Amino acid sequence: MQRRTLIKTLTCLGVVSALPFLSATSFAASSHAVSVDDLPELTGELTLYLGRGEGGLYEDVLNAIKKRNPKLKLRIRRGPTAALANSIMAEAKAGVRQADLFWAVDSGTIGQIVGEGLAKELPSDLTSQLQSNFRFSNWAPISGRIRTLPYNPTRVSVDKIPDDIMALPDSDLSIAWAPAYASFQSFITAMRMLEGDKATTQWLKAMNKKAKKYAGELGVVMAVERGEVDLGLANHYYTLRLKSGKPDANLALAFSKNDAGCLVNVSGVLALSENKTASDFIRYLLSKEVQTYLSGEAYEIPLAGQLPPPTGIPSLTDISPPEIDLTKLADIRATLVLMRNAGVL
Amino acid sequence: MKNLSKYITKTAQSFLIITSFATFSVLANGDIGEHVNHLSDNIKKYEEEVNWLSTKVDGIVSTYQKSGAKAAHPDALMEHWEAVDFHGAIESNYVLIYASIWQGLYGVKGSIDKNSPIADVKAEQVKLERAFWQALGAVKMAAKFQDQGLLAKVKTTDEAPKNSLEALVVIDKNIHSVVAKYAEQLTDTATTMVHDTYLNLFEGVEGELIVLDANLVEDLEKDFNVTLPLAIKNNKSVDEVREIVTAMSKKLTKAKLLLENKAKTKKDVF
Repeated sequence: MQRRTLIKTLTCLGVVSALPFLSATSFAASSHAVSVDDLPELTGELTLYLGRGEGGLYEDVLNAIKKRNPKLKLRIRRGPTAALANSIMAEAKAGVRQADLFWAVDSGTIGQIVGEGLAKELPSDLTSQLQSNFRFSNWAPISGRIRTLPYNPTRVSVDKIPDDIMALPDSDLSIAWAPAYASFQSFITAMRMLEGDKATTQWLKAMNKKAKKYAGELGVVMAVERGEVDLGLANHYYTLRLKSGKPDANLALAFSKNDAGCLVNVSGVLALSENKTASDFIRYLLSKEVQTYLSGEAYEIPLAGQLPPPTGIPSLTDISPPEIDLTKLADIRATLVLMRNAGVL
Repeated sequence: MKNLSKYITKTAQSFLIITSFATFSVLANGDIGEHVNHLSDNIKKYEEEVNWLSTKVDGIVSTYQKSGAKAAHPDALMEHWEAVDFHGAIESNYVLIYASIWQGLYGVKGSIDKNSPIADVKAEQVKLERAFWQALGAVKMAAKFQDQGLLAKVKTTDEAPKNSLEALVVIDKNIHSVVAKYAEQLTDTATTMVHDTYLNLFEGVEGELIVLDANLVEDLEKDFNVTLPLAIKNNKSVDEVREIVTAMSKKLTKAKLLLENKAKTKKDVF
């Protein structure tokens, strides 16, 4: 069953509102990206906690928003996403709120804040700008990335690559992975949710016997391209970036189906204060211009409106990501324990 | 004299390169003290400390010559070095020579521990003395730059880099500190620094960089994940580790130029 079908069905049954994190809204409306020309001017003061990611591209976006809105005084606190989330929760416990907005590089961290009940409801006309399966009442996904199987076509043909991620350890393929990498750990969290801890542990142990370990996922993709291995596990954009810098690179992308292997994870933003300027600020992040910029420069997948994905990957409607509540990817601690017990970390 | 002048010029050039490229922050073991932001006021004290250190090293070597390794107590070399404020002044301003000092300290200590002939110990002592005086020269020069407002204030906490160019500055600083920590024989710390610098900083830069020069990224990937950690693991000499870091630093400079050029043609968000 496709995710959107499931959610529509759940909505009809009144189940969605019972799901603590999903809280989907207005699924019937078609999404559309709004131009910044149609957005209100931002005025007043805002404090944004910005999780590190994508080099300076998020900074470029923020600088452009500041330049366009000279009456906005934007204070930014930067740091690792998880550390900022901890600060937000600690501040809330102490009865102080420093941040109006939190822009995080992964949905799991968003889930932590949402789970604490700290995220404020967003206007439905804002969330309806997002593609239907990325609409949430109290946070807004900004851009997406897909888990992929980059492979070297000079070493292996696509028909030899299983479309079931759980079957990968049983294949004859040589494999590269980066288990210490945060996106990989979110992928394992998704696998735990979908397949259970026992099956995930077995998968990790079997993979650990055959996979070659790399520190980061660009390293994985480069190893595939060099022909050190047949195939790797990595977010989609590393392949697109390498192909951009090296157009003749021996690299192609394969996708598994309906499992954690093709998880679509997102960066996202939430408002911590009920403040019109804060929600209007989010509108800028969902604007056609920002979405196009992040897609063009960072190869991330636009999630507002019907903007095309970066060249080189299929549209989200042509792949079959699993049915996952993205905010539950926050359960990273249990994943790390499981990975350690499996001897992977 | 000509050689000395050449050395000072070279040091000054290196220093300028480093200061123009690096934003310094605290990496010392413990509190380095506010004195590092007032170098001129403290130069006299640093000079006295270097002279004191020199005397102490000389005393340890003389004791070794007269009474052997046990009586010399060469571990005191490190204790003396860590006791002086000059330690923080050089670490926060010129980590390259800071590493040489540690290399020199362990050179003297190692040769005494091995009961080496006194001529060998004295050869190591000369290298250490040279590093002390080079360091004092570098701090004096840093003091001048600081007085002219050309030196960034030493920070007591690290700030997250705002973009890839700022990240490259921190990466370059960190890998030079890896040499220093390796010279201090803090092997685990050095290895962790390499790993953390890769995962927390370089990994965020390389996505942007690979579009511009895939081979350069591939080289640096190998340096971070294979060449440098392997050299540390295999107990290569400090000079060999420094050589790897110097080569990496050149690649980072190239990366910086590529990103700067790209920034000029970057399209606007709106």
